[in-house]
Amino acid sequence: MSTVDDPRERLEFLQGTLEVLILRSLQVGPNHAYGITQFLERQSGDEFLVDNGSLYPAVQRLLQRNWIAGQWKMSPNGRRAKYYRLTPAGRKQLVAATSRWQRFVEAMGRVLAAEG
Amino acid sequence: MREWWSKVRRLFTGRPGDLAAEIDAEIDSQMEFEIQENIARGMPPDDARAAARRHIGNLTQIREQAVDAWRFPPLETIAQDLRYGMRGIRRAPGFSLVVVLTLALGIGANTAIFSVVNAVLLRPLPYPAAERLVALGESDPNAEGISVTWVNYQHWRGENRSFEDMAGFRTAGLTLTGRGEPLSTRAGVVTYGFFGLLGAHPLLGRAFRPDDDQPGAAATVVLDYRFWVSKLAADPGILGATLELDGKPYEIVGVMPPGLRFFERGIDYYLPLHRFEGEIVDRGRHGSMRLLARLKPGVTLAAALADLDLIMRRLAKSDPGPEDQHHAHGTFLADATAGDLRPNLLLLLAAAGLVLIIACANVAGLVLARATVRAREIAIRAAIGAGRNRLVRQLLTENLLLAALGGGAGALLAHWGSRALIAAAPLPIPGLAETTLDWRVLLFAVAITLLTGLFTGIAPVFAAGRLDLVSALKDSSRLATGRGGQRSRSALVVAEIALTLVLAFAAGLLLRNLIAAETADPGFVPEHVLALELALPSSSYRSPQEIRGFYDRLEQDLNGLPAVVWVGAVSCPPAEGDCGDWFYSILDRPAPQPAEVPIALFNTADRDYFGAMRIPLREGRGFADTDRPAGPRVAIVNETFARKWWPKESAVGHRIKSGGPYREGPIYEIVGVCGDVGQMGLGTAPYPEIFLPFSQSPSAAMAVMIRTGGDPDSLAPAVRRSVTAIDRNLPIQSLRPFTRIVEASLAQRRFSTLLLALFAGLALALAAVGIYGLLNYWVRVRESEIAIRLALGAPQPSILRWAGWQALRLSSIGASAGMLAGWVVSRWLRNLVFGIADNIATLAAAALAVVAIAMIAAAIPIWRASQVDAVEKLRSL
Repeated sequence: MSTVDDPRERLEFLQGTLEVLILRSLQVGPNHAYGITQFLERQSGDEFLVDNGSLYPAVQRLLQRNWIAGQWKMSPNGRRAKYYRLTPAGRKQLVAATSRWQRFVEAMGRVLAAEG
Repeated sequence: MREWWSKVRRLFTGRPGDLAAEIDAEIDSQMEFEIQENIARGMPPDDARAAARRHIGNLTQIREQAVDAWRFPPLETIAQDLRYGMRGIRRAPGFSLVVVLTLALGIGANTAIFSVVNAVLLRPLPYPAAERLVALGESDPNAEGISVTWVNYQHWRGENRSFEDMAGFRTAGLTLTGRGEPLSTRAGVVTYGFFGLLGAHPLLGRAFRPDDDQPGAAATVVLDYRFWVSKLAADPGILGATLELDGKPYEIVGVMPPGLRFFERGIDYYLPLHRFEGEIVDRGRHGSMRLLARLKPGVTLAAALADLDLIMRRLAKSDPGPEDQHHAHGTFLADATAGDLRPNLLLLLAAAGLVLIIACANVAGLVLARATVRAREIAIRAAIGAGRNRLVRQLLTENLLLAALGGGAGALLAHWGSRALIAAAPLPIPGLAETTLDWRVLLFAVAITLLTGLFTGIAPVFAAGRLDLVSALKDSSRLATGRGGQRSRSALVVAEIALTLVLAFAAGLLLRNLIAAETADPGFVPEHVLALELALPSSSYRSPQEIRGFYDRLEQDLNGLPAVVWVGAVSCPPAEGDCGDWFYSILDRPAPQPAEVPIALFNTADRDYFGAMRIPLREGRGFADTDRPAGPRVAIVNETFARKWWPKESAVGHRIKSGGPYREGPIYEIVGVCGDVGQMGLGTAPYPEIFLPFSQSPSAAMAVMIRTGGDPDSLAPAVRRSVTAIDRNLPIQSLRPFTRIVEASLAQRRFSTLLLALFAGLALALAAVGIYGLLNYWVRVRESEIAIRLALGAPQPSILRWAGWQALRLSSIGASAGMLAGWVVSRWLRNLVFGIADNIATLAAAALAVVAIAMIAAAIPIWRASQVDAVEKLRSL
């Protein structure tokens, strides 16, 4: 068992983080499922591999909570696609989740970096 | 919560398969994007498609996972919750039994009472558009809801713009002859529109037509179903036959269906009112007719009454007279039928509600106590990975399960309870016999059960939500004695004691009132009196001489019977109710305004009535043989009447005019003043009353009071023979010892007082259980503290004092709050029940009883506290 992370393996999502990332991806504007995937992979420097088996259920959960809303539209290249956008509640949730995440990261960092 | 709502909405609005199809379409569109991109990167189309498919992954799996997100948690978790719940209930059988019993009593008592309230007050009347049916009468400044005169009815019916239809009704007593024994029967005398308003269609033949309901029309009668079945053997060929009523033949034209029960006391047949009434032109002639009417949709009762008053004002100009000051008076039929019972039922409902609150407080206290004991168990479950939602759900399931068990037991109790209530009811109450646990009652019980379950479920959920895992695991006792939990439990006990005190106080007040009514001097001696009620039919007793002749001979014969001491007659016996009031004025006083003419009860008594009933004569003389029919008119008034007008001097010698200054009426000289008698029932407010001598104002319907030296019941056969000997066609209305009439007038109050006392007893028992449970728990979590105190040398009595002080403190706070609340409630009661007086002694007695019971309930836990074995307890820590 290797104790060091293999840099060739891509990162897996921690529980619950994919939803936050989807919300974040929609902050820049409405997008469809494939667009969200591309955004996340691109922004993470290809560290994240977005699995459709996780993405689709996560989108459904966000719809249930009324954090996003979906609508079929024409894409710029003339294809029909379902576009998702943030609702006001979703926007609020994103802000809250972001600040929680930052606290978590700082705490993790402090603990992991602590000497001794 | 939001997710559940979305899921539930989808469940009802979405079609199965829609979601899967939509997700398939979405994946398809994504695939097209990827294919286009791959082609743009230079792949050949087939490769581009294959690569895109590979990248997307297992399509079926994605679709299923996405659809799964909309499913509810699998059934297994719910089943598991139920299993855990049952296990939890079985593990604490004592606790569970107390909770279930408490709930059963609370819910059972409530449902039983609600069933009765539902049957009597809430159940819609069985008529079409019954919510728009109103009963109309007239009002003058003195009395509300008096009869409507025939002429006014004609104008109202013809000129109103607010009612769909209107019909007159009253009752009449007639004697049926020619079919076996003479029978005294009751007729519903109605105008022809009556049946249409009630939506009633005849079972046989026809109802009245307009041409039946006219002066001079052929005499017709429509039978009530019960009369047809019981007296005419349900003969289907009865149409066309005749009934001989008061000696005249009436042709039977129809039979109404079963279940038509408009008239409270029940009637035997219907007669057309207008034919009976004849042509009346005097607008001021009152009979006993009231009106039944249906409002047009959207018209309020107030607007409709204003409409009728407009007609009355027009009539005051065109046909002035004594009716000028009269208004239309109306109540919804649904309100009118429950009438006098409303305060009693509301009182009982309020009591039942209080008992339920006490029961809920009890259960909440118990559950709260148990939850803190279980804090450790919950903490361990959370520590090994149970999600908080799951824990909360499980606690809720357990409590709902307890509530369901309690509710089920309560429903059973309610079923038997309402049977018992109906059996114990003293009087025929309209609708009571039809009391069943119908769907509304069931719904009420279910709602109470669920609310109780949720209410008690919330308590441990909050406790669990506040849990600090680490400290719970380290030290359960510190957590369990946490200030917040203890305080809310103490508050529950205080509230319980306060509410119990209110109930005990209210029951005590009503009980005192009842005892006062029963032991109060009724103003006469009801024992050893046989009351014989007769109504001479006008067909065979046409003149005052004939009526006088009959009663004179009857009294003479009765006086000849062995053991008979005294015989006297009155037209309206004590406790009989309002037999008729009328206007009057005092001759030597200034005439009152037309709107302020006073009214009094008018009664007729013969020479020996006051003697036979032992009603004392306060002033002047009784009626005498010298009060001849043609002689000067005389009257005896009661004390209340005399005191109202002549508080300082004697009433004897003054003259009163019947009808008041604005109506025709004879003048009477007051010759005597008699003691007050509860005319409306024992213990009711005295009412001014005027007695006229039978010799001068004979009445066909009299109650003959026969005082005997022995048992009144054994005299009955001889009395019956005496009546038959004089007139074998005369039916006896009623023949019973007068004590039974008095009993009947108190029976209803006894009934509601008994119920309220039962509720107070129930509340006391529940409060005792609650206090016991709380203190018991309080001692349990402090056992180690007590052990340490004992080990450090605290004497046992100080431990007892410490625990006892807790109990006393809680019960005295509760009692003080309860006394305050009780005082407020007694104000409300005073408006509801006549004769209720503020009573410090009753309040103090109720407070003492409640505190004493609380202390008795506390005794066992306090004793247990003193029995803590210090050595053993300390070793187990």
